Amino acid sequence: MTSSNLIKLAIAALIGIALGLVYGWVVDPIEYKDVPPNILRADYRADYVLMVAEAYQKEIDSETAARRLAVLGGESPALVVASTLEYAKQNAFAQNEIQALQDLLTAMQTYQPQGNANP
Amino acid sequence: MSRLNLRSQILHILLALLVGLGLGLVYSWFLSPVTYVDANPAILRSDFKDQYRIVIAASYAATQNLDRARVRLELLGDIDPVGELSAQAQRMLASGEPFDKVRPLAQLATDLNNGFASIPTPTSFTLLNTPQGDSVISVTETQTAETASIEETPTPFPTIIFEQTPITPVVAETNTPRPTFTPVPGPGAPFTLVGQDTVCVPGTQEGLLQFIFMDGRRKQVAGIEIIVTWSQGEDRFFTGFKPELGNGYADFIMDADTVYSVRVVAGGAFVPDIVTPTCTDPNGISYPGGLLLTFQQP
Repeated sequence: MTSSNLIKLAIAALIGIALGLVYGWVVDPIEYKDVPPNILRADYRADYVLMVAEAYQKEIDSETAARRLAVLGGESPALVVASTLEYAKQNAFAQNEIQALQDLLTAMQTYQPQGNANP
Repeated sequence: MSRLNLRSQILHILLALLVGLGLGLVYSWFLSPVTYVDANPAILRSDFKDQYRIVIAASYAATQNLDRARVRLELLGDIDPVGELSAQAQRMLASGEPFDKVRPLAQLATDLNNGFASIPTPTSFTLLNTPQGDSVISVTETQTAETASIEETPTPFPTIIFEQTPITPVVAETNTPRPTFTPVPGPGAPFTLVGQDTVCVPGTQEGLLQFIFMDGRRKQVAGIEIIVTWSQGEDRFFTGFKPELGNGYADFIMDADTVYSVRVVAGGAFVPDIVTPTCTDPNGISYPGGLLLTFQQP
């Protein structure tokens, strides 16, 4: 096989790879289903934390609130609420919503999981 | 010979193209697929969707903001959000979750069906300042609450008495009667059995014991706990988990040869000796029918 033939084959293979990449990344990319909540978009994530904060206003149950926040990933509940509070301030959330997040943050900062309670 | 050579060259090129295509697909689908970082709630795993619904319902229980709860539920991409709420509530009850945990889901499903918040709370008034359209809901709630509890007596027309000179009318009654407050039974008022009807509809579930609970204004009431007992056991369930059949609806399947008694937990109404009625079709053939018990608050 001559070198010109080899070049033609290499070019064909490269074109094939490029077509495969375009098809796999753009035309028909992997569709995700059944994803965990830790990859929610920032606004959905903030709304979820806000819902937990609104529910906390009525329930005053730190344990339940922390459990609900835990589904958002490995960060501590206080950290999750703190970053959401920051997001809420930057995105002009209503004052009562910011207050609810602030209350939840205070609760999460002082929250001690039952397993870690001092004897 | 040269034609054979050309054909072989084209085949080689095609083969290289296909191998390249395969490599590209393997890389883009398996080795380095598109990564999701900004997912929306519609593609959450089903158990996380359940958790999301619980939090939506808990938030709604605190704020009574029905519009916002509806929008949040739509994010989950369910074809029938109310049906999903009811189904989840039933699943939770079946798995032994306490009713207090399930109640917000049932309440939200009921209110979405009704189109208004059934339990206006003071919290909803604080939401008047929020710019997301909450005020519309709150005003509606206020109006509903007032019309529900105040029954206005129409103001009578003043009677004009003419004496000797009919030039100056004398208004005999100047005081406008104040609105009369009609006492409304609270949610804990006892239910009494107001109807016990045999249901003979061929083709329907045999031995279906149906319940309908209404308040004093004949509005169906969700969340009423019912206990059905028989010689070998008992079953507990609540109204409102089939909102498509009514918020105050619940049902139970009876065996043909068993005697049941029904107790309503709130108010303690008791109906003994319930058996599956026998119906007869137009051809004279007997079949087990159903029973409809209607309860109402005074």
